[in-house]
Amino acid sequence: MNGGTHIAQDDLALYAMGDLRGEELKQVRDHLQGCAECREEARAIAEDLAAIGMSVEQHAVPAGARQRFVESLGGEAKTQSPKRAETTVTPISVARPRTVWVPWAVAAVLAVGAAGLGVKVNTLRQQLHNQSRMLAQSQEEGVRSQRVLALLRTPHAQRVTLTPAKTPAVPSGHTIYLAERGELIFQGSNLKSLPQDKAYELWVIPANGTAPIPAGVFRPDSSGDASVVMPPLPPGVPAKAFAVTVERAEGSAAPTSIPILSGAPTQGE
Amino acid sequence: MTDFPDNPMGLSPRSINDASRSLRNDSESSESDDSLLRRVNENDSIAMTKLFDRYAGMVYSVAVRVLRDAGRAEDLLQDVFFQLWRKPESFVSSRGSLGAWLLVVTRNRAIDVLRRRRPMESVDDYPLASTISFASEVEQGAMMQKVRKALAMLPSEQRNALELAYFEGLSQTEISERTGDPLGTVKTRMRLGLISLRKALQA
Repeated sequence: MNGGTHIAQDDLALYAMGDLRGEELKQVRDHLQGCAECREEARAIAEDLAAIGMSVEQHAVPAGARQRFVESLGGEAKTQSPKRAETTVTPISVARPRTVWVPWAVAAVLAVGAAGLGVKVNTLRQQLHNQSRMLAQSQEEGVRSQRVLALLRTPHAQRVTLTPAKTPAVPSGHTIYLAERGELIFQGSNLKSLPQDKAYELWVIPANGTAPIPAGVFRPDSSGDASVVMPPLPPGVPAKAFAVTVERAEGSAAPTSIPILSGAPTQGE
Repeated sequence: MTDFPDNPMGLSPRSINDASRSLRNDSESSESDDSLLRRVNENDSIAMTKLFDRYAGMVYSVAVRVLRDAGRAEDLLQDVFFQLWRKPESFVSSRGSLGAWLLVVTRNRAIDVLRRRRPMESVDDYPLASTISFASEVEQGAMMQKVRKALAMLPSEQRNALELAYFEGLSQTEISERTGDPLGTVKTRMRLGLISLRKALQA
């Protein structure tokens, strides 16, 4: 891997991206321990790669995510046990040979009882945690439903009908988009089924000419219907148009095929 | 790799916070990451929540970019921060700034999820020692704009190769197969891309 003297830059890049495992990872680590030159290069590559991570489009954290995290802090013990769980040992200053087993027996019984109670407490705590999570999810779903309704009722939300770009108007798509909040609902109809390794991907084409923003990967049901509801989108991006392309199953960073559906908001929308 | 100063990226909490659109107020923003981490070490859940507020947007955005699935991205978001809560000692300042470290941990874990491969045993295994100086000139995502501009200036082939490796976790061989370009060409493009990016960021 290191070509005798130093580690190749390609391998350092793999290391910096966490792509090495097992013996390869060990070799690089061992080398870096004693090679300041490679260590410096690895650090520089890590800097470059971290910068790439800074380039992503920012998304708002989902509603309820913070609450769920806060609840998980209360419901889970940290690796280090809290002090109150420690056992207090009181020294016995006077030995009583004939009855020395009595306090030990009592202690053993109490210990068993305490262990049982501990299990029970942990079970109840877990149940409470699960209930809290379910409640939070329900609340989030309620909030989401409210937002969906609000979007549908907002008069100035953009309503766009997407039609096939070049083929007869069999498949169709309808988009409702509120740029100021980055909220979108898409409904597709009469969409053809796709191979397993393909999927449809919806795109928001920004009015300012920047790159299309992926707005959800979807596959139609057996009736050819599909929907994308509230995909994560940045707020405040007015749209020039919307489009649907066929991409690989996991979606693409940028459109790689000609849109099968596209549409632009009419003036005034 | 232990000889790096604290917070070597120089990315101020305010910068990251603003960029990630979190909801922290000014009084909260004055407490440093190191101070909050010390409190997290003492089981202070309020301090942990402040770190969540500070970096959750950035972590979630990277997770969304790699996974392209809001649900899985949130799972990862929760996982990354809960790991920090359980093992705050996993992060040591010699590895760079907390924000950069979280970003790398998130990206690497997201790739593990995406590729269904076994994750590293602990976040401690992730290599990072970022000393890039975002410095005080950075406000409200200016660094992001700089990076985006630098990436946009790269030839599309170089940018595509870097993005396939970073955001999709493809090996150079896989990129070669995906693009149909010779392996040597892919290696060259990645190398040139990284060099150009470095120059642009240092300019």
